[in-house]
Amino acid sequence: MSASKTVSRRRLRVCLAMIVGVFSVFGVRLFQIQGLDASAYAAQAIADGTNKSTVPAPRGDILDRNGAELATSVDGMTLTADPKMTSADAPQIARILRQELGSRIDYFDTIDKLRTPDSRFVYLIRDVPAWTGKKALTAIAKANLTGVFSEKETLRTYPGGKLAANLLGYVNGTGKGVAGIEQEYNKTLTGTDGASTYEVDPNTGVRIPMADSTVTAMVPGRDVTTTIDRDLQWYADQRLADAVRESSSDWGLAITMDTKTCQIVQMSQAPTFNADDGTGMADSNTVSRAVQNVYEPGSVMKTVTMAALADQGKIASDTPIVVPSGMDIDGFHIGDYWEHGTIHLTAAGVIAKSSNLGTIVASQQMSNTTMYNYFRRFGFGQMSGVNLPGESDGILKNGKDWTKANHATIAFGQGVSVTALQMVRAVGAIANAGKMCEPSVVSSTTGADGKQVKIPAAPSKRVVSKDAAATVTRMMEAVTAPDGTAPAAAIKGYRVAGKTGTAWRVDPATGRYIRGQNTVSFMGFAPADNPRFLTYIVLDKPYSNAGGGSTAGPVFHDIMSMALERFGVAPTGSKSPKVAQTW
Amino acid sequence: MSPQLARAVNMGGAAAPRFSPEAAKAAGLRLVRPVRSRARKAPFVVVVMTVLSIGLVGLIVMSTVLQAQSFEAQKLNSQAAELETQQQLLTREVDKLQSPANVARRAIAYGMVPNTNPAFLRLSDAKVLGKPEAAKPGNTNIRSVTP
Repeated sequence: MSASKTVSRRRLRVCLAMIVGVFSVFGVRLFQIQGLDASAYAAQAIADGTNKSTVPAPRGDILDRNGAELATSVDGMTLTADPKMTSADAPQIARILRQELGSRIDYFDTIDKLRTPDSRFVYLIRDVPAWTGKKALTAIAKANLTGVFSEKETLRTYPGGKLAANLLGYVNGTGKGVAGIEQEYNKTLTGTDGASTYEVDPNTGVRIPMADSTVTAMVPGRDVTTTIDRDLQWYADQRLADAVRESSSDWGLAITMDTKTCQIVQMSQAPTFNADDGTGMADSNTVSRAVQNVYEPGSVMKTVTMAALADQGKIASDTPIVVPSGMDIDGFHIGDYWEHGTIHLTAAGVIAKSSNLGTIVASQQMSNTTMYNYFRRFGFGQMSGVNLPGESDGILKNGKDWTKANHATIAFGQGVSVTALQMVRAVGAIANAGKMCEPSVVSSTTGADGKQVKIPAAPSKRVVSKDAAATVTRMMEAVTAPDGTAPAAAIKGYRVAGKTGTAWRVDPATGRYIRGQNTVSFMGFAPADNPRFLTYIVLDKPYSNAGGGSTAGPVFHDIMSMALERFGVAPTGSKSPKVAQTW
Repeated sequence: MSPQLARAVNMGGAAAPRFSPEAAKAAGLRLVRPVRSRARKAPFVVVVMTVLSIGLVGLIVMSTVLQAQSFEAQKLNSQAAELETQQQLLTREVDKLQSPANVARRAIAYGMVPNTNPAFLRLSDAKVLGKPEAAKPGNTNIRSVTP
């Protein structure tokens, strides 16, 4: 009896000790959780129970002058995979992805990625449109395959593909504009991301009704309306690309400007790139040659020389000029592109036949300083003010340092380097009755509220008198006459003023001219008696005997005709005055 | 206090005399029936219970409805996202079909050619401006569309 009493008492004690022990452990743990780690657990609980998300602001669209979309943003996707889950089924997954995504993805590369050893995360493909990505994911899920995931992103698309690519530019992987209008107007196009925080059920992730939430409003990016006409742009792109191919040129440019407003309505470049599908993204394609590429313009510059002379009253279209058979200046022999003895040309004849020697003779009436000052007034050596990234100043040596040869060659566009847009601006002044304005490619921006903010045009300034501009225009009309250098540029029913250019190409490596390599061009505007559009065509390094009139002239004709037709510019009905070319 | 009443009250006091009806009577006290409230208890209880249960049930219903709506909202949100993606896809298809390249390609396929010489008809006096020329196959500058 007493022995069993002792046993039960001991058992009681053991039990008590165990209970005390267990509760002590609980107590210590409780103290640890509530006393020591309380704030950490509380923070974790809040984190589990709240959902923070940024609300990405959509990037603004780039529109043409009529509101057609040139660049827009859509939902995109990045597909990722967990190789640990996918390595076994890699071929099946890769086959489905290849089927759904087409040439965007390489079958064998994808298999390698899906089998990446010792990895739990790989990117399969970035920047696919959401609809394509979702289709691929659905197909994978349907085949009972797992391990492929998606991340949301915004994707920039260019519905026109290559259309105006060099002007529009493109965005990099993080969605920042890195070329063209995308870069120049990046701040305007990018909005401000918003943020929202709200409480969710930690298990289901479903939002708890009426619980706390904070929302920072998102401000969408502004739309940028360009001055481009989409259809004309497409036509010019196509026509220029054909011309570059047919003449086997290195590259070509075509720019059309409204001479009244200096708005660029079309700016084409070939070869170009397609930022929509990412093809042709080589530097030589993505460079915006209209503003970044400097070259010697050649004879188109004669119009500027003549305008300077006419402004000083030193020349009229019928001024007689004795043109020698050749000239030797500072040891250089200068001739015309055709062999001739001493000939008698009028100033109009010099332009119509594009005589280098005639231009030199005429320009000798100006001092270095006067000529240099006129060239500066015409904007050479200074950016065109078009507001596009990476613009070059061109190269115009200071008049004080000119040699005799400089004076002679600059008069006909050699020994001076320009950008195409500088050339367009300068001749635009002649078309615009002597007043020069700055070319523009963007006319307004529009916010999500629909409020439009116009971008004011820079004031135009007079560079030569109205009479001087009219005189040069008359000379330029002779160029497209049947006996001029570019009859192919004439548009039936219209009066067209123009000028050809065939410039020697400079080897960038040596700085010397390369025999047999030219930059051919044609600059013209119409109607000559009331100019509305100016078009400039440049073809670099075409086959060796290509000339400005014969190669660039037809391209000018086609693009200019289309511009006049699209904008409803009817012929004025007046006749070109007959100007004598010889005396 | 009257002396009689004081005596009666003091009955349970230090002297502790036994209760005697005579003394009570002398003091003017008598037994009365307990006061019965005229208001009945049952309706009050019913009202309180009803209000409580309505509140409770209402709360449960409201909470359930809100929760259900929250699920519904999430479902609709994802449906909206789905539809937005689809709309973007369709917009894109329309854009592609409307693009000048596509229109030109189809026009060329129909045997149409771009006009090479612009001319206008002025309606006011039926005058032809410019020199119209028939656009003939072969007499054109764009023969195919480069993709």
